[in-house]
Amino acid sequence: MSLPRAALLGLLACALTPSPVAAYEFSVDLRTIGQGYQVRRYGADGNNELLSRRRLTQYIDLNVVDIAPMYLRGDYGDRNVLSFEASLRFDTDFGGYMLGRPTGPDEIGELKQSQLDILYAFLGGRNVGGRVDFQLGRQLRFDLVDFFAFDGGDAVYHFTPEAAVEAFAGMEVRGELPLSAPIYELDGTSAGSRDPVTRPGQAKMLRPLVGAAALAGREGGPLSARLAYRRVWSATADPLPGEPTSGVNDEKLSLVASGYWRKRVQMVAGARFNLLLGEFDDQQLVLRLRTAARQWLSVEQSYLAPNFDGDSIWNVFAAGAYRDLRGVYEIGIGPELKTYARGFARFFTESGFAAGGSLGAVWRRGRGMLRGDGYWDDGTGGRKAGVDVAARAPVHRKLELEGRLTGYHWRSDQPVAATAGNGGVVFGAQAGGRYRLGEGMRLHLLGEDNVSTYYLSQFRVLAVFELEASL
Amino acid sequence: MKRFDRVAAALAAAIALAAGGALGAAAGDKTAPGKTVSTASSPSAHPSPLIYPAETIPLKFDHAQHARLGATCEGCHVSAQTSTSAADNLIPPEAACRSCHKIDRAQPDKAVPNGVAAARCDACHADASGNAWMPGNADRERRADPPRVVLARPNLKFNHQLHGARGIACASCHVGAAAQGLVTRADLPMMASCLSCHDGKQATARCTACHVAEPDGRVKTKLTSAATIAAGAIGPLVPSGTLRLDAHGPTFRRDHAVVGREESYCLSCHKRNDCIDCHGGVVKPPDIHPADYVSVHAIDARRNVPDCSTCHRAQSFCVGCHQRSGVAADPEGGIPGRRPQNPFGTGTGLKQFHPPGWARDPSGEVLSMPRASSHSLAAKRNIRTCVSCHREDSCLACHSTDVTRGPVFSPHGPNFAATARCRFLSARNRRACLKCHTPGTAQLDCEQ
Repeated sequence: MSLPRAALLGLLACALTPSPVAAYEFSVDLRTIGQGYQVRRYGADGNNELLSRRRLTQYIDLNVVDIAPMYLRGDYGDRNVLSFEASLRFDTDFGGYMLGRPTGPDEIGELKQSQLDILYAFLGGRNVGGRVDFQLGRQLRFDLVDFFAFDGGDAVYHFTPEAAVEAFAGMEVRGELPLSAPIYELDGTSAGSRDPVTRPGQAKMLRPLVGAAALAGREGGPLSARLAYRRVWSATADPLPGEPTSGVNDEKLSLVASGYWRKRVQMVAGARFNLLLGEFDDQQLVLRLRTAARQWLSVEQSYLAPNFDGDSIWNVFAAGAYRDLRGVYEIGIGPELKTYARGFARFFTESGFAAGGSLGAVWRRGRGMLRGDGYWDDGTGGRKAGVDVAARAPVHRKLELEGRLTGYHWRSDQPVAATAGNGGVVFGAQAGGRYRLGEGMRLHLLGEDNVSTYYLSQFRVLAVFELEASL
Repeated sequence: MKRFDRVAAALAAAIALAAGGALGAAAGDKTAPGKTVSTASSPSAHPSPLIYPAETIPLKFDHAQHARLGATCEGCHVSAQTSTSAADNLIPPEAACRSCHKIDRAQPDKAVPNGVAAARCDACHADASGNAWMPGNADRERRADPPRVVLARPNLKFNHQLHGARGIACASCHVGAAAQGLVTRADLPMMASCLSCHDGKQATARCTACHVAEPDGRVKTKLTSAATIAAGAIGPLVPSGTLRLDAHGPTFRRDHAVVGREESYCLSCHKRNDCIDCHGGVVKPPDIHPADYVSVHAIDARRNVPDCSTCHRAQSFCVGCHQRSGVAADPEGGIPGRRPQNPFGTGTGLKQFHPPGWARDPSGEVLSMPRASSHSLAAKRNIRTCVSCHREDSCLACHSTDVTRGPVFSPHGPNFAATARCRFLSARNRRACLKCHTPGTAQLDCEQ
């Protein structure tokens, strides 16, 4: 028997041999979002003009779950030990907004006519062998003081239910890479710059990323903590003599801890040391209290110093930081009515202060909803004061109508010349509805028109079609 | 900073008062002996209609009276001991009652001596209005058969047999049932009781141990049905706040950062794309950005409240839009030697975005010393505002050591060379330094 024939028979035998049935499940979510709106711009003749922007965005999310064979599955939720998750986005712009935009080498990522992004796509493993969680592919990671995206692998090894270590490595996701969105990319450098001093070619260099973390505390337990380290670097594009061959773009050490006491008190604290700047650039302390049935108090204190990509000169310029105090009190009056009071104060270390507050209430019954909010804030930046009333009412088992009325006054604290405008009044009205076309299919239409000090009409329309399907 | 300290002190006092109240209330919670847990401390007084949908129990029954007479839970609810599903109907059938109540269906109004368990139909059965029910009445409501018990399937997983085998007494979860009259869905155990054991140590804390799961292992939140609506359900299942104090109240969309950054916890209900739908910056959420937000967004951006960077990257999203709308000059990409040209007005003399004295004096000369109205204060206060329009080359025009580019104004504060920032930046990425400084110059060295 010839080798090819033997191989063919072998393949046939393998194909016909009974094998364990794996009940994979697929779910596909499609969201088509169409938007048409007008963007105010400063016209060449010195007047305000409205640019027409028409935008179509298509999300395709694919989940394949229960890939693992039966023998790897355990109790409870362990059935989904191996899974694959992916989200793709296609975004395209039409209309006058896109005319005259910078193109060629000056092109700015988020002003491209059309973009195809893989937002994430990874093979995930959970509780594999009772010890390991992993993700392999493009992934997003976030905790209290950090968020980033990378292409690579992440693995968590659980020594005990209370202790685990994590390691991850890969390449940072950047807008300059194919099929990549710049959403989670560190700020501070521009791919649209052609000034040689800013080293435009550096934007195209790959950026390796490595990190590790130690985790303590049981899931759902009263205390937990995560100590994490992350470093991103890149080789220098076309280095000249005397220039470094590589540089660090991001290096951070963070600690986040949370504790719960008697199901009434929660405290979360986080701090991040930026090893590029040699200082703590993010500190947060949050206290949440359940003061009575359906009553909550949340108080936050935070410190945040701007930080940028290690290649950016703005790490030197960014002298100021700010401290925040925020508080929210929520009171539920029965199961249908909830009210709240919210306030914030921001203290700039380089002189400046802003504060504000809002009050509101939400009433819900069945699919119906009525909400009212009033807000005021003043200080650095300017002043805003307004009200917002929104309502949703079911008119049919498949149809809900909704509307919103908004009115506010604003005044900027930085006067700009001529007709740019330093303040004004805006009234806006929205009306629309959601229609359930069938199982997993919904259509959402919304129209908005605004009248302001600067124009008599500014129209916006939004249409969202959602389709969820499982196989 | 004094103002910050005063506000912080006042706030701390308020928190202390509130905390005292909360802890005092916690101390006052009733807790029964052993593993018995009071549900009085749960944030909602009644169980979720999405978990326990509407039911109809047209019965008159007094658990307390039966308990006083020596009845036990297991004596009547026999099937509970072998039940493995929350969907099982564990209400005792008539046969269980017959051991004491000498029921005779042929005699609906059978009389019994005093001290003997009643045998009349209306001793136990009631109509939809709660009135005593007897068969054969001319009233249309009073049919031959009594109104039936209708229990909707709870959206929950529960194994009575397993819990019983582990020695957990009925009263541990059904607190106070033996002292009540009729027990309804309003009296069923709530999550707070489950969590007294399901703490990740004594028993698993995994949400889907009790909650119904989607195929991918997430908690199923879309549970609406006719029975849940009849019980008053509103929307999808959301956290009550019992576990993590994360009740999804009216401000949650704006203030979820703390809870939302605990990735694995959020993903126990949400799909990953739920985050990107909002934070991807494609659709303007109307409750975060009100009507005509473009007109007013500069106020929020200058103070960075809410934090723009959670959805937008300044050097791509903001710069792109600002160039297109004529706010930002320099659409040519900052090519040295070429004057910025903006076809949309800014910088053409028709309009000037920044006020006079921002960077130049009225004669057009670059300011040699910062003034109260100049850009340095705004840049130091919140440089993110600047970088939403400008790129590095805008700053390099005056802040580089290259005299051919223009004036040479150092952006470094006093004694920068002696600061940790100088040492750390210089050690990790000298490329940034070289955008302003020439390789090999002494200015590149920090003091050790």
